[in-house]
Amino acid sequence: MQTEATPAQADVSELDLVRRCQAGDTEAFDELVTRYRTRVFSMIYNMVHSEQDAWDLAQDSFLKAWKSIKRFRGRSAFYTWIYRIVMNVTIDWLRKKQVKGAGAEFDDAIQLRQVDPASKTVPKTEALPYEMMERDEIRARIEQAITQLSPEQRAVILMKELEDMQYHEIAEALGCSIGTVMSRLFYARKKLQNLLRDVYENI
Amino acid sequence: MKTFEEKWTAWLDGQLSGRELAKFEASLPDKAAAEVEKADARKLRQLLKQELGARTLTNQEFFSHQVHEKIAQEDAEASQSSGRRSATTSTWWTIPRLLWAGTLSLAVFLVCTLFVVHEKTPTEESSYLTQILNARVDPVVSPNATVSMFEVKQDRVTVLWTEGLQSLPADYAAK
Repeated sequence: MQTEATPAQADVSELDLVRRCQAGDTEAFDELVTRYRTRVFSMIYNMVHSEQDAWDLAQDSFLKAWKSIKRFRGRSAFYTWIYRIVMNVTIDWLRKKQVKGAGAEFDDAIQLRQVDPASKTVPKTEALPYEMMERDEIRARIEQAITQLSPEQRAVILMKELEDMQYHEIAEALGCSIGTVMSRLFYARKKLQNLLRDVYENI
Repeated sequence: MKTFEEKWTAWLDGQLSGRELAKFEASLPDKAAAEVEKADARKLRQLLKQELGARTLTNQEFFSHQVHEKIAQEDAEASQSSGRRSATTSTWWTIPRLLWAGTLSLAVFLVCTLFVVHEKTPTEESSYLTQILNARVDPVVSPNATVSMFEVKQDRVTVLWTEGLQSLPADYAAK
């Protein structure tokens, strides 16, 4: 897995940073946050599809990581360990949201409909407006398809397809067996293939 | 790998090799359809990577700052509560001390009670016991007689054990 730091930096000092964090050094923890914040935020965002919630959950995850860093024994890679926290926090949040049955629409989806394509407030980018709209639509379709998956299936498919994590790493991050990971991956892929076939066939 | 789902997933991800791969591919009823599905899975992966990729975290520095602030706040709260705990422990009548004092008082009370019970005179005991104690074994009739008494007060039982008795004293009559 890549981090924001250069590979050399990451190799030399990650364990050292963890040891310093365990001794109460918040500066060292800042460094770890800097390395993983984008990946963590991105992963959470792809699971919850809301920038604000992803921000809060990522904050929550790092805070939990700080509180429990003394328990990190270094038996697994640090990113697997932090992903475990991230997944626990996010899956827990998704489950609570499901129980509440809020049924709130994702803020980005609302945003999409609210933006007038001809509006002067649409940010300037290199892509043409219709291309942007098309892309937004595809992204909305994907996000909608992902919401059809259970929180665990979402976690598995995103870790495998976006993060290129190995089965055993995913299993470690989710606290389940490799067989369970493979099985969840099987059903998640089947479901997404059914829901998104027309999208990927036409690209 | 035990289930079909596991084997299928491993096959899609190119994790099967050698005999395992050959065995699995031979077990597929329609190899061509499976290959189409494998290609579909690749397209799906490509689509997800392309569209979902790494989401930019805006205000990265503010994000880190906020985490830092929360940690500082958390630590301050933790030290405050530990300070409160130590302040509580510095007062004399803490809960553990109260418990110790209570236990000690109870122990002293029990010792005193046992002492008083032990010092009780026989006259305070039951009339039945008094009667037995007053019963005399005539030393002329039974010179080798011994009388032992066992008493279980809580069961209200007293056993009089006599040995070497030739005859019961004439005036003895247990009621």
